[in-house]
Amino acid sequence: MVRLEKIIKAISDKFNWVAAAAVAVMMLLTVVDVVLRLFKMPIPGTFEIVGMLGAVAISFSLAYTSLEKGHITVEVLMQNLPVRVQAFFTVLYSLASALFFLFAAWVCIDYAMDLIKSGEVSSTIKMPTYPFVLGISISSLLLSLVLFLDCFKSVREFKNQ
Amino acid sequence: MSPTTIGIIGLVALVVLIFTRMPIGFLMAIVGFIGFASIVNVDAASTLLAKDLVAVFGSYNLTVIPLFVLMGQIAFHTGISRRLFDTAYKFIGHWPGGLAIATVGACAGFAAICGSTNATAATMGSTCLPEMKRYNYDPGLACGVVASAGSLGILIPPSVIFIVYGILTEQSIGKLFMAGVIPGIMLATLFVLTILIWVRLKPELAPRGPKTSFKEKLQSLSGTGETLLLFVLVMGGLFTGMFTPTEAGAVGAFGALTIALVRRTITWKAFLQSLMETTRISCMIMMIVGGATVFGHFLAVSRIPFDIANSILGLDLPHAVIMIMIVAIYIVGGCFLDSLALIMLTIPIFYPVVVQLGYDPLWFGVIIVMVTQIGVITPPVGVNVYVVHGVARDVPMYAIFRGAFPFLVALVIGTLLLIPFPQIALFLPGLIK
Repeated sequence: MVRLEKIIKAISDKFNWVAAAAVAVMMLLTVVDVVLRLFKMPIPGTFEIVGMLGAVAISFSLAYTSLEKGHITVEVLMQNLPVRVQAFFTVLYSLASALFFLFAAWVCIDYAMDLIKSGEVSSTIKMPTYPFVLGISISSLLLSLVLFLDCFKSVREFKNQ
Repeated sequence: MSPTTIGIIGLVALVVLIFTRMPIGFLMAIVGFIGFASIVNVDAASTLLAKDLVAVFGSYNLTVIPLFVLMGQIAFHTGISRRLFDTAYKFIGHWPGGLAIATVGACAGFAAICGSTNATAATMGSTCLPEMKRYNYDPGLACGVVASAGSLGILIPPSVIFIVYGILTEQSIGKLFMAGVIPGIMLATLFVLTILIWVRLKPELAPRGPKTSFKEKLQSLSGTGETLLLFVLVMGGLFTGMFTPTEAGAVGAFGALTIALVRRTITWKAFLQSLMETTRISCMIMMIVGGATVFGHFLAVSRIPFDIANSILGLDLPHAVIMIMIVAIYIVGGCFLDSLALIMLTIPIFYPVVVQLGYDPLWFGVIIVMVTQIGVITPPVGVNVYVVHGVARDVPMYAIFRGAFPFLVALVIGTLLLIPFPQIALFLPGLIK
């Protein structure tokens, strides 16, 4: 269990580095495009590439943000309840969320398959869009694993209290 | 069950489950998915879920969020905050309450390159609080000023809240940014007046700082030129239509990075840290946007927003009264909920009402931002107060809430002023076609 936790954390961390790199490239690419536009030589497809980089930046940081407890929650009620009650609710919602993102990963694969079949590409530089949908799918899967982990940890906390 | 009934069940479920501490973005997506599936069918809901996630995460327009967040994160490392405060301090530090007024000025300046309330409060807190402490300022007043003036981060452009509002309501982000400028200046002025009145009543709270020579004043100006330049470049490009909002964000982040590199105030490690923080904050915002998109589609098929709009309009009350009621709901909601979540939850419902009442969408955006500012300094959930408490551990939370109270009054007055005088917000955006 502890080993599994370490592996999931390490992967989430690596994924977040990819996301961070995507943000940096997004900034540089856009600035270069703006500058080159002054000389009437814009980079074709910047619009599309930046959108795709955005998809990478957000989806690849999902698991890490969840590990860091970075997603917005409402603490008002829970922080005043006993730890055991808190753990109980955490078990429920993390399990529900984990199943949901597992499902989301699956529907995204389905969607990616449709895109492959129809041969969908971006409008200017004809870049296929399905790899990014698959990226979102893998990220959802990883998030789901993080949430299952949260669920197990809270079960243990609930029992130990 | 009728779609309306399912819609109501969904809304109630959302409001109840939010208190289980479930991440709000997840919750909205799940409730929205289940609701949509029960009204239409599971297949349609699955397709909707995949398409919404891909459309939100891969949207070019939304990349403006990570880029402006990055700009604020890098700005933190440029030392701009210290130089802004230094200038304001040299000019007015010797007035009664001068350091507090200088803090307001520096916050307003930093807000011009940073788009979030808590980043502004954290940055200015670590800069201004030690100085005010050194001159024996009352800790409650000092922390209250930073928490309140830090909230200018989202009113003076750039602003994450304006961006999110603009995306949700399909309004021009550039025009929204412009709409925030005059209210931002007005509010900063109201904060200064608040300080002046407060120290007139209790001069011992805020002793005078040292006098500075004219030469020192002039010299300090050199430290703020770059901030002004960056603001003019980013906002000017955006307002004249030369940049898209995303491009403005990228140029702003790159500009801040350049300043930091030239001044040698950023290390490689700090740059990487800024990137990591940026992905975390952007992911948090975008997850809520994604969840709200799915939830919004569910609400749309349930026809709830339409029904609520009709019943509110059927009340036959004067428009200003309805508007004040909406503002009151936001103020109360903002006490308990995170502001971004509150906006996401309520915009699909209130926005159609406000537009049907004949109010300007840009003006409502400014109102939303100002009630959010109120939300970040009202107990029990006041993010800016938490942030300032994080910087000044020795000042108890209640003292900061109390110190922020006079500014809260100023904020409420400012917000209410906007109802009879919408031109305060609409004058600047009205200048561009």
